[in-house]
Amino acid sequence: MNRKLSRSFDELKEIVALTDVFFKEHKINADVRHTVDLCIEELFVNMVTYDTETDADILLEMTPHGKGIQVSLTDFGVHRFDPRDAPAVDINAPLDERTPGGLGLYLVVKMVDSIHYEYQDKTSKITFVVNGK
Amino acid sequence: MFNIAINDEGVVAVEGRLDAAQAPRAQEFLDQVPDQCTIDMAALEYISSAGLGVLLRTHKRIMSGGQSLRLINVSKHINDIFSYSGFDRLFEIELADS
Repeated sequence: MNRKLSRSFDELKEIVALTDVFFKEHKINADVRHTVDLCIEELFVNMVTYDTETDADILLEMTPHGKGIQVSLTDFGVHRFDPRDAPAVDINAPLDERTPGGLGLYLVVKMVDSIHYEYQDKTSKITFVVNGK
Repeated sequence: MFNIAINDEGVVAVEGRLDAAQAPRAQEFLDQVPDQCTIDMAALEYISSAGLGVLLRTHKRIMSGGQSLRLINVSKHINDIFSYSGFDRLFEIELADS
C-alpha cells in the first residue's frame, strides 16, 4: 500500500483509515496496532513540524513483514534527520524537569522491533518493522 | 473521533483518539478545569506523545497549586505508553478492570 499525504495533521484520520484496511487485508494481529499507529503518527508529525523547507507530499508505504508490518515514511526535499539521533529523554526525571518535547521519537525507537534510515538526494526515508504476535 | 467532557462530579471523561490533531482542543478544555482533577480514560482508545504532552502540562499546572491529577480506568495498552514514557512514576494511575 502506497499513499501520498499532504503536510497536515488532518491527514492523521486518513492514516488511521488506511492502517485499518491494511491490518484487515493482511490479517495482522490487532495487538500491535497501537504501536504501529503511534509510530506512524510520531514520524509523520515530526516531518510536518520540522521539515518546513518543502511543500512536497510525504509518502507512506506499508508492506506485510512476516506476521507483522513494515512501514516507510519518505520526505522529499529536506535535510537529513535520523530519528535514532534524537536527543535522549530522561524518563526518570522528576515532574518539574519533564517537558513534553522529544518524547515521540523516543517512543518510536523504544517500541519498534527495528528501524532503518536512508538519506540521498535530499530525500529522507525512515523504515520501521513491528513484528506480529 | 475525540470527545472530552466533564460530569457533575467533576470527573473529566475522554473518548476516542487523543492524537496531534486533537491535542490543542484537549489542552484548551483541560486548561479550564479546576485544581484536583480526575480523568476517566475508560473510553480512550489511543494516545500519542501530543496527548501525553497535554497530560503533562495539565499535571504541572495542578501540582503547582498543591493539588493532584488522577487518571482512572486506564487500559493496558495506554498504560504501556505511560510506562515507556515514565509517566507511571509521575501520575496517580488506576488501571481498568481487565
